[in-house]
Amino acid sequence: MKIKLLRIDSRLIHGQIANNWVGTVGVQTMIAACDSAAHDNLRKTLLMQVGREPTKTFVLDIAKTLRVYNNPKYADLDVLMVVETPQDVIRLMDGGIPVTEVNVGGITYKEGMTRVTESVSVGKAEIEAFQELHRRGIKLEVRQLPSSSHSDMMDDLKAKNLI
Amino acid sequence: MVALIIAAHGELAPALLASTQMIMGPLDNVEAVDFTKSEGPDDLLAKYEDAYKRVGPDVLFLVDLFGGSPFNAAARFAAVHPGVDVVTGVSLPMLIEVSAGMNGADVPTLVKAAIAAGGSGIRTYSQMQTTVSTADEEGDEL
Repeated sequence: MKIKLLRIDSRLIHGQIANNWVGTVGVQTMIAACDSAAHDNLRKTLLMQVGREPTKTFVLDIAKTLRVYNNPKYADLDVLMVVETPQDVIRLMDGGIPVTEVNVGGITYKEGMTRVTESVSVGKAEIEAFQELHRRGIKLEVRQLPSSSHSDMMDDLKAKNLI
Repeated sequence: MVALIIAAHGELAPALLASTQMIMGPLDNVEAVDFTKSEGPDDLLAKYEDAYKRVGPDVLFLVDLFGGSPFNAAARFAAVHPGVDVVTGVSLPMLIEVSAGMNGADVPTLVKAAIAAGGSGIRTYSQMQTTVSTADEEGDEL
């Protein structure tokens, strides 16, 4: 499996991804790798309907994502993969998926978080995970749409005095 | 390149354009024409003429309501401007599809895309296919 884009987006697959990123990246397979969504029948059903022909959408928990990734049958499959959190990127890496670059698309604000950009909010756990990814040499690019302005996640965290 | 003019009652057209750009990013060659209570057909025609000067001559109008003033004025405009066509029932799914296909397409191609996307954008929750069970979480097959 070739992951052409790995994105962090707490909404997982939605309009911006199904209608814009998928064409720009040039893939026909989207995987939402997320334990809670994979185990939530309604959310899974809705996510699987977002993609349009000929795009195929899969909602897998992280364990299954790792198994599928290692299945030689999919060695040449180009994929756009979305996870909810930077913590899940670490889980993918610890499971053996090589990652060099992550698109930070959106993390929805929740109580206790700090808004870093218009679309990205972080709490303590997210900050720690981004720092860990940075230590591992991962490029962390904040960008909502292919044509949007973009910035470096670590620069944004510094600008907010969060690291 | 074909340009789009979105036209609708009230402030719907600029709002639709803003919403489309939320998904597609900034769009060139797309104009939005509003139509307020105090305006009439001649105001619409004047706005269409202005927009056409900026983005014409190959223009597809996407308007809200068949028989409404934005449509009637667009039809009058199309009657005297070759290369211009009008589709009604403008919606976000239609705008996404058409703006994604604008590069290199001609007006008749975009008309077909608009009609198809306008129709297929209408879905019903109760008729959605229900998902497979958790059984597919085993194994290593997609």
